Amino acid sequence: MLSDVRVLELSAPATMLAGQVLGDLGADVVSVEPPGGATGRRLPPFIAGPLNAESSLSWHALNRNKRAITLDVASPDGRAILGDLLPHFDIVIEWIKRGSCLEGLPRPDGLIACEISAFSRGGPKAGYLATDLVLSAAGGAAAMAGDPDRPPAFFPVPQPMMEAGAEAAVAALAALAARDRLGKGQTVEVQARVAAAFASMGRLVAGRSGDHPFRRAPPGALGRMPIVPGMYACADGWVTITVAFGPAFVAMTQRIAGWLVEEGALRPEVARENLLEVALNAARHDGDPEPVEQLVSALVETCRRKSKAELVEISKRHRFMAAPAMDMADIASFDHYRQRGLFAPQAVGEHLVDTPARFAQFADYQIEVRRPAPRLSQHTAEVLSEFAGLNQLELQALFAQGVI
Amino acid sequence: MPAPLEGLKVVDIGWLMVGPMSARYLTELGADTVKVESGKRLDPLRGLGPFKDGQSGPERSLSYHWINAGKRGLAVDLKSPRGPDLVRRLVAGADVFIESFTPGAIDEMGLSYARLAAANPGLIMVSTGILGRKGTMGLGMSGTGMTGSAYAGATNLVGWPDRAPTGPHGPWTDSVAPRFVVAATLAALHRRGATGKGTYIDLAQAEAGIQFLTPAYFDFAVNGMVAGRSGTAGSPLRAPCGAYPCAGADRWIVIDADTPQAWDALRGLLSPSLDDSRFSTLVGRLRSRQTIDARIADWTRTRQPAEAEALLQDAGVPAHAVSNDQELAFDPDLEAAGYHRRIDDPLIGEGWIPGPQYRLAGTPHVATRAGPRIGDASAEVLTGELGLSAADVAGLKQEGVIE
Repeated sequence: MLSDVRVLELSAPATMLAGQVLGDLGADVVSVEPPGGATGRRLPPFIAGPLNAESSLSWHALNRNKRAITLDVASPDGRAILGDLLPHFDIVIEWIKRGSCLEGLPRPDGLIACEISAFSRGGPKAGYLATDLVLSAAGGAAAMAGDPDRPPAFFPVPQPMMEAGAEAAVAALAALAARDRLGKGQTVEVQARVAAAFASMGRLVAGRSGDHPFRRAPPGALGRMPIVPGMYACADGWVTITVAFGPAFVAMTQRIAGWLVEEGALRPEVARENLLEVALNAARHDGDPEPVEQLVSALVETCRRKSKAELVEISKRHRFMAAPAMDMADIASFDHYRQRGLFAPQAVGEHLVDTPARFAQFADYQIEVRRPAPRLSQHTAEVLSEFAGLNQLELQALFAQGVI
Repeated sequence: MPAPLEGLKVVDIGWLMVGPMSARYLTELGADTVKVESGKRLDPLRGLGPFKDGQSGPERSLSYHWINAGKRGLAVDLKSPRGPDLVRRLVAGADVFIESFTPGAIDEMGLSYARLAAANPGLIMVSTGILGRKGTMGLGMSGTGMTGSAYAGATNLVGWPDRAPTGPHGPWTDSVAPRFVVAATLAALHRRGATGKGTYIDLAQAEAGIQFLTPAYFDFAVNGMVAGRSGTAGSPLRAPCGAYPCAGADRWIVIDADTPQAWDALRGLLSPSLDDSRFSTLVGRLRSRQTIDARIADWTRTRQPAEAEALLQDAGVPAHAVSNDQELAFDPDLEAAGYHRRIDDPLIGEGWIPGPQYRLAGTPHVATRAGPRIGDASAEVLTGELGLSAADVAGLKQEGVIE
């Protein structure tokens, strides 16, 4: 797809997914790290055992299909070499803390500079100290997640670096579309906070709509209707099951009741009740909610004895909505993902891992792991001799000085 | 300066967020997007709020305006015998076709990729099923972003270890997948520029979601560690790092003062409560996490989130209020970036929706406009794109094929 596109990524946590998406789509991506290694090499989780520049699994997960060089871009030589590299590249992706590393260097006309910053540049929070957790909080989605009696819920895997990275891939490709048409490069700016705010979805428009603000609150009881859970514990984890009594969904709930009768967990009389009416009466009037209570407790009890996979199978057979809250082991062994070809083999240190690389299936293109994540400085000599014309002696001199 | 995708024709026959949001990314780059829906089969997003002034109604959903900004509305009854034929003719002249039906349903309408590509080999068609189309569970599998989040591993990762998972906010994969759809589509357009060839893209929303969680996947694949819910915010490798209570109901601030500089700044600001010499080193702080967290919470609890955020950032401590939806709407930084854009709609009047997710310095996005009203461009599209006469259009309307 992008086999004619070359990308220079000045590595930072938020650039990693951007470079990888472009690499997956066929671009030739070179990641530039400071001589001590990129920040991404110190992101957990780590391969069990000795800790070093090759241990970070976040690095391995987000840097396939790239070559890596080290270069101290703040040194005079590093700066000059960066300037020599630019004409060979179509896209530069960079995390902006204060200014761009490219400032003052001659920019080729066609160059696309994709700049990612934490907050708005020149805005009131431009000087903010930002970490992934700070950006998550600023994005807003966390305020609306988790149990209302406890603090907001965050992902254990940092999300803003992913969100900003994916957005930057889109932004760079939008600029490429513009260049394909007009022949000129340009600068595109991505803000990690704006990228993170996207996960607030519809709530992004709430504050100015005049509609109600969001409140984390326990589900409210309606009349005598019991609280119906959405998440059910099963033998090996959790399953979400839609148990609803509105006109659009009640037929599905009747089918759940039918299944529970088959399982011997529910009396047939209960399944024969008109659950829409029972629920309406219990919610609005003083109707007896017992059939609903019995259905829910039978469902809770029956789920405990079944596995996630069994419940999904049952939901297909009985036509109701259930989805397994998959963990990473489930994902690794899920036949459907295997059949789709989601996984491609990738070397990770001594291990060979099936990585879920193929984020899309194309009719006539396949995402492949053409290269595993690069070792520190693995391609410095190769890339700098190819694009910056450096010979062996010059490379050694730069190494001796700590520039590479 | 023309917009990057000016002249590109997109047909969006999706619903809710993934397909339509992907089409919006293309629309704001200048593409002419026709949103196909029908009064008989409304995009369910029209029934979801938030609504202008809190009054529900199919034309009042600001989520709908946000996700469908700038598109033209064509209302076709796809169940009528001639409905799908109109869509097929429209796609014959289009560059990109995005659909998010239950996988397989599009074939039954006679709109399969094979058939459409035969008439239009340059077509780029995207299907955005929850689990994709290929694979034994693909065809017939329907669901929402809640289903996608469960299959992506996200639901299980968010919440508390001692309780049922809560999952992230809302149908999470809806916010992840559009970026992958758009990146794949723009890459395919780039290749088409050189080869003239279109393609079919089968993108599973759940698989897009997995891309945001790959560090946890690698932890399993390499170490055999199955990540679970941690509950607490932030990393166990950093201290102090977490969410702390503020004054007000359900108000919180995050503080991430792990580095020596940030720690010194926090210690100075809260002095003397963190002066204990055991807290001077990272290892000391990791061992005293609970004590430190309690002392920080004593300080944050009496302050409003915005006040605490300003004090901490001024002192040099990475911190931010856990923004709620009201704050997102009026955040001074988003304001400075011009993120919220005003739309004017004949029915709801003034409304506010987010503009583009990123800024192009050279070839700016087109102005942010309202989403279409149901079928607001039906006649215009059929006469302009398909060359139908006014009489043809009137006939179709009378037969109930279009609205």
